[in-house]
Amino acid sequence: MSNEDQSEEKETIRLMKGLHLTKPQLALALVGLVVVLLVPEIEGFFDNLQLDTFHNGILWGMAALGLALLLNKTELVSFGHAAFFGGGAYGGAMLVNFVGVDSGLLILFAAVFFSTAMAFAIGWFVADYVAIYFALLTLAFGQLLYAIAIGSPTLGQDEGLRLRSGGEASGDPPSLFGIEFTLQQQGEYRLVLYYFTILLLIASMIVMYRIMKSPFGSALEAIGQNRTRARFIGIPVERYVWGAFTISGFYGGIAGGLYGLRQLSIGPEGTLYVFVSGEILFMAILGGFQTIIGPIIGGIVLTFLLDNVRFLTEHFELIIGILLLLVVFVLPKGIWGSSEDIKNGLMTRVKNPAQLGADVGTLQKMLINAVRNAITTIKIILFGVK
Amino acid sequence: MIELPLFIDLGDAAVHTLNGIFRGSILFMIASGLTIIFGVLGVLNLAHGEFYGIGAFLLTSIATFFVVRIAAPTDPLSTAIFAAAIVIAVLLSAAILIPIAGAIEATVIRPIYDRAEMYQLLLTYALLLILVDTIRIIWGSQPVRPAAVDGQQIHAALDVIPMEELFGFQYSSVRIFTIFIGIGTFLFLLWFFDRTKTGRIIRATAIDREAATAIGVSSDRVFTLVFALGGFFAGFSGALYSVSAIPATAEMGGTALVLSFVVIVIGGLGSIRGSFVGAILVGVVWSWAIAEYPPAEIAAPFALMILVLLVRPEGLYGAWGEIE
Repeated sequence: MSNEDQSEEKETIRLMKGLHLTKPQLALALVGLVVVLLVPEIEGFFDNLQLDTFHNGILWGMAALGLALLLNKTELVSFGHAAFFGGGAYGGAMLVNFVGVDSGLLILFAAVFFSTAMAFAIGWFVADYVAIYFALLTLAFGQLLYAIAIGSPTLGQDEGLRLRSGGEASGDPPSLFGIEFTLQQQGEYRLVLYYFTILLLIASMIVMYRIMKSPFGSALEAIGQNRTRARFIGIPVERYVWGAFTISGFYGGIAGGLYGLRQLSIGPEGTLYVFVSGEILFMAILGGFQTIIGPIIGGIVLTFLLDNVRFLTEHFELIIGILLLLVVFVLPKGIWGSSEDIKNGLMTRVKNPAQLGADVGTLQKMLINAVRNAITTIKIILFGVK
Repeated sequence: MIELPLFIDLGDAAVHTLNGIFRGSILFMIASGLTIIFGVLGVLNLAHGEFYGIGAFLLTSIATFFVVRIAAPTDPLSTAIFAAAIVIAVLLSAAILIPIAGAIEATVIRPIYDRAEMYQLLLTYALLLILVDTIRIIWGSQPVRPAAVDGQQIHAALDVIPMEELFGFQYSSVRIFTIFIGIGTFLFLLWFFDRTKTGRIIRATAIDREAATAIGVSSDRVFTLVFALGGFFAGFSGALYSVSAIPATAEMGGTALVLSFVVIVIGGLGSIRGSFVGAILVGVVWSWAIAEYPPAEIAAPFALMILVLLVRPEGLYGAWGEIE
């Protein structure tokens, strides 16, 4: 979808109104779909591929997709997106614990409703603010929810809540589509949930694509470019931002609700903490927030890294931090967003190996310049410009 | 004539309030740095809480170094020497943060001034993660306290300095000093930005970077200076907090950061006066919540923030973007 401009020249296949893909793109999408559907079957063949990690990665990616709408179109940075992910997870868990519902779909519905309502309420507060103030306020609201969850005995404080029947540790998982699962059938439960997630993922990606292409999406883009101008041409800026914020909360709610159903036990540290918000933001940018697939890929990649680096070393935060620095400086458009550039760069070098020699020269020049700049900087800091 | 008792025994309410002012002073020193850095550099430094954490950990190491070498306070002279050593330890801990913060600004933050906010936030968030783990690598993940003196904590050894004669009530001397240092920092910053040449240069750079450069100011140097100044005060408050019996943990930076956000949102981003008033308010509310209803410990400051936002969306001293 990143090279939609070229698609007019090439032969395209119309999937639905407004969604055209070229043949290679369609093939790629189909291969991706097949791989995603086959993950439960092939996970046994690879040591590092766990369905759990992959599933969680998709869910975090869905939350990041909601965030990408704000990042991409309105250029607002929400640093409290965990509020909606965690809000969804807690919304579902509260229904199980306080009402005693054990239908998975109802739980998911409650999760989405709860977090959308929350996004609606918080959005009313933050829609007026721009840039850093927006980030600051969303972060503060996210932390408020974390504070409430960790402080409230009803919500289980730092232990969190369970989504099993009766809220017991050995309770059965909720039923899905009328199928009851016992404690022993958790494997089947997770498999059904996984395929359900894939279905929702595809639906939510298509819906997001349509939103971004809609007049509403264009209006959001106008707001992102220049609020005053957008106001002058008659766009109700605050209302639209509020709407976009609510939509992104809705996405967080679906992801959080499914996450709750998958984990069957949720805590404030893993779903609501400020670091979780940071991770969601990181996922969106890592994958490429200007695309639809990017945030999902970012979610899967980062969850995979988080799950595996944790086993390798105690200091995984250091590694993630350094990775983050690299993304900011080297790969600002993200993995998926830069794939075109990387491909072109590689192709030039394959066609023309002499380019590599020039690359070495450029690197050398950059290094020398960096050292020279560092010396000047130290001189200026210590002695001033005189 | 009514005879007043010499020492007033403070009630719970007064103790909570004093604790709150103590916490507020600590918070002010963190939040003011954050607000100044934002006002001048335009970058919200998410790693700022970690400077505070590093300051606290540095103090535990430096104070331990002194405590095992200096005689325990028994008479006034040895108490004075001991107190002087602790003051030096606090200043040293904060001073170490000047080059750390300066180097961070000059290497990683400088290249991103012109980038979109999301990258600035992401970068300082990366710094936060790196610094948290650096703390864990150096000091371990367990809470750390300075070495005990004669079986008691540093603050207890220092609390023998009499306060009753000076103020007429019984309260931890270390905390009283911290409160005074907080107020002193506030007055210093007001004076610094209002009266000194350097302070005026910083303000001028914040208002118009190009014009300042045109009249011969090195904006790079100003930015590094401001960042180092913020790092210094954050480290200073961390060290002071660590003296007051609270063990240093790797997580303390995160909590401090988030509360500093609340403080500067209440006070108005970029306003030093605002962050002082906000810090004291948040500190008092926080302390009362801890004492009266612990589950609301973290939530109470946020409730205050939302209340202020409803009444004054731009904060109490709504500058929102310029130092005053």
